[in-house]
Amino acid sequence: MDLLQLLSFGEHGWGAALLKAAGMTVLLTLSALVVGALVGSAVAAAKLSRRRIFRYIGDVYSILFRGIPELLVIYLFYFGGATVMGAIHHWFGGEGFVDTPPFLVGALAVGLISASYQAEVYRGAYLAVAKGELEAALAIGMTWGMRIRRVLIPQVWRYALPGLGNVWQMTLKDSALISVIGLVELMRASQVAAGSSRQYFTFYIVGGACYLILTGLSGRLFNIAETRVQRTQRRNPNA
Amino acid sequence: MNQSIETALSVSNICKSFGSVQVLKGISLDAHRGDVISILGASGSGKSTFLRCINLLESPDEGRIVLDGEVIEMKHNANGRLLPSNTRQVEAMRSKLGMVFQSFNLWSHMTVLQNIIEGPLRVLKRSRAECIEEAEQLLHKVGLFDRRDYYPAHLSGGQQQRVAIARALAMNPQVMLFDEPTSALDPELVGEVLRVMRSLAEEGRTMLVVTHEMGFARHVSNRVVFMAQGVIDAQGTPDELFEGLPTERFRQFVASHNQRAND
Ligand SMILES: Nc1ncnc2c1ncn2[C@@H]1O[C@H](COP(=O)(O)OP(=O)(O)OP(=O)(O)O)[C@@H](O)[C@H]1O
Ligand SMILES: [Mg+2]
Repeated sequence: MDLLQLLSFGEHGWGAALLKAAGMTVLLTLSALVVGALVGSAVAAAKLSRRRIFRYIGDVYSILFRGIPELLVIYLFYFGGATVMGAIHHWFGGEGFVDTPPFLVGALAVGLISASYQAEVYRGAYLAVAKGELEAALAIGMTWGMRIRRVLIPQVWRYALPGLGNVWQMTLKDSALISVIGLVELMRASQVAAGSSRQYFTFYIVGGACYLILTGLSGRLFNIAETRVQRTQRRNPNA
Repeated sequence: MNQSIETALSVSNICKSFGSVQVLKGISLDAHRGDVISILGASGSGKSTFLRCINLLESPDEGRIVLDGEVIEMKHNANGRLLPSNTRQVEAMRSKLGMVFQSFNLWSHMTVLQNIIEGPLRVLKRSRAECIEEAEQLLHKVGLFDRRDYYPAHLSGGQQQRVAIARALAMNPQVMLFDEPTSALDPELVGEVLRVMRSLAEEGRTMLVVTHEMGFARHVSNRVVFMAQGVIDAQGTPDELFEGLPTERFRQFVASHNQRAND
C-alpha cells in the first residue's frame, strides 16, 4: 500500500483513527493543563506563603513531581488508583479487578506533573507584579476578592504567558506517556497503526509530524496571545 | 458637636515601630474641611509611614483614627498587636481617603479611562454610564481627555500622576492623601501636577500632602506640619513657620532646602 492509502480516511486507511487520536491528545493535554493550573497556582501560593509549613509543603510537592520520572508517576497513579478503587469496590461487596479509567488517570497524572512546572511559572509571575499596583487597589477600598480578580490575576497572567507556552508544549509531549496505560491518543494510535500495517517507520514519522503540527499551531496561538497582552506594555501605542 | 462636623479627619497618638526602630512616636493631627496641610520633614522622618497609617496600609501599633465622625474599630490581638477589627469598615474608610502615590501605581493592564472608572464602578458599585461620564469630566479637568484610551506605559510621568489624581478624585473622597506626588517626576513635569493640586485646593478639597515642594507648602497650603524623628516638631500656618522659624530643627531644614535650591 502506498502512503496515501495508508493515511486515507477509507476503510483500510488509518487517517480517521489518527485524527481522532490527535483530538484525544489535545483533549488530554487541555485537561491536564487545567488540573495543572488549579494545583499549580495552589502550590505557588503555598511557596509564597508567610507560613513556613505551607512553604515546606510546596517544596515537597516540587521535589516529588519533578524528581520522579513521569512514567513512574503515571504507573503509580494507574495501579494506585486501581488498588484504591478495588478496595472501595470490595468494601461495597463487589468482586474482581476494577479498571481505572485511563483518561482520568492520565489527565490527573500529567496534570499534577504539569502543576509542578506551572507553580514555578506562577510564582515568578507573582514576584514580577508591581506591588504598588496591588497597594493602589487596597488603598481605593477594594475587597480581597476584587484585588485578586481585577488586579492580581490579570497581571500574573500577563507575566506567566510566555512560561505557560513552554509548559503547554511539555505537557503535550508528556501526554504521549499515557499510551502505556492504554488510552488511544496520538502515540498509542501510531503504535497500533504501525504494528498492524508493519509500516513502523512510516507511522512513527507520521506520528512525529502530527506532534510537530500540534506544537507548532499551539506555539502560534501563544505568540498571538502574548503580542496582544504585551501591547499594553510597549511605550509607543501606535508601534 | 459642631466640632465633629467640621473635622474631616482626626488622628491621634499614632505610634509605629519597624522591629526595634520606633518610626512614629505619637503623632496627632486634625484636618478640618477644606484644610490643605503640607507635611514636611527630612528623609526617613516617618512622613510616608504616617500617611500609610492613616488609611491602614500600615497598621499602627497605637493610635486612634476618626474619619467623618466615625471611629475606626481596632483591637489588640493575642500577640498584643493592634489590628483593625472590621474589614468592611476599613475598606469603606479607604474608599473615602483618596491616596496618590509617589510612583503613581496606575493599573498597567487598564487604559486611562478604565483606571479611573474602576473604583466607582467596582467599589462604589455605581452604573458604568455614570462612571464614564464623570471620568470624562475628570479627564478634562486634568487635561488628559485625549489620552483616555492610552495605557499607563504610554504616558509621561506627569501624565500618569494626573491620571492617578483623577482616579482618586473619581471616588469623591472626603480627604486626599498625597505622598510626595512630584518627587518621581522630571523637573519640567512637576509644574503640571502642582497646577492640578492647586486647583483642588482652591475648590476646597481637604488634602494632606507630604511634599518637598516648599512653594506649595508656603503658598497653597493653609497649614504646615514639620516632622522630625517621629514627632511633630513644629506646626502652624505657613507664615508662622516660614517667617517665625519656631524651632532649631525647622530652621536647619529650611536652610538646607534653600541651599539645595541655590546649588
Ligand atoms: N516596611 C518597613 N520596614 C522597615 N522599616 C521601614 C519600613 N518602612 C519604612 N521604614 C523605615 O522607617 C523610617 C521612616 O520611613 P518613611 O518612609 O516613613 O520616611 P519618609 O519621611 O517618608 O522619608 P522619605 O522622604 O525618604 O520618603 C525609615 O528609617 C525607614 O527606613
Ligand atoms: Mg516617603
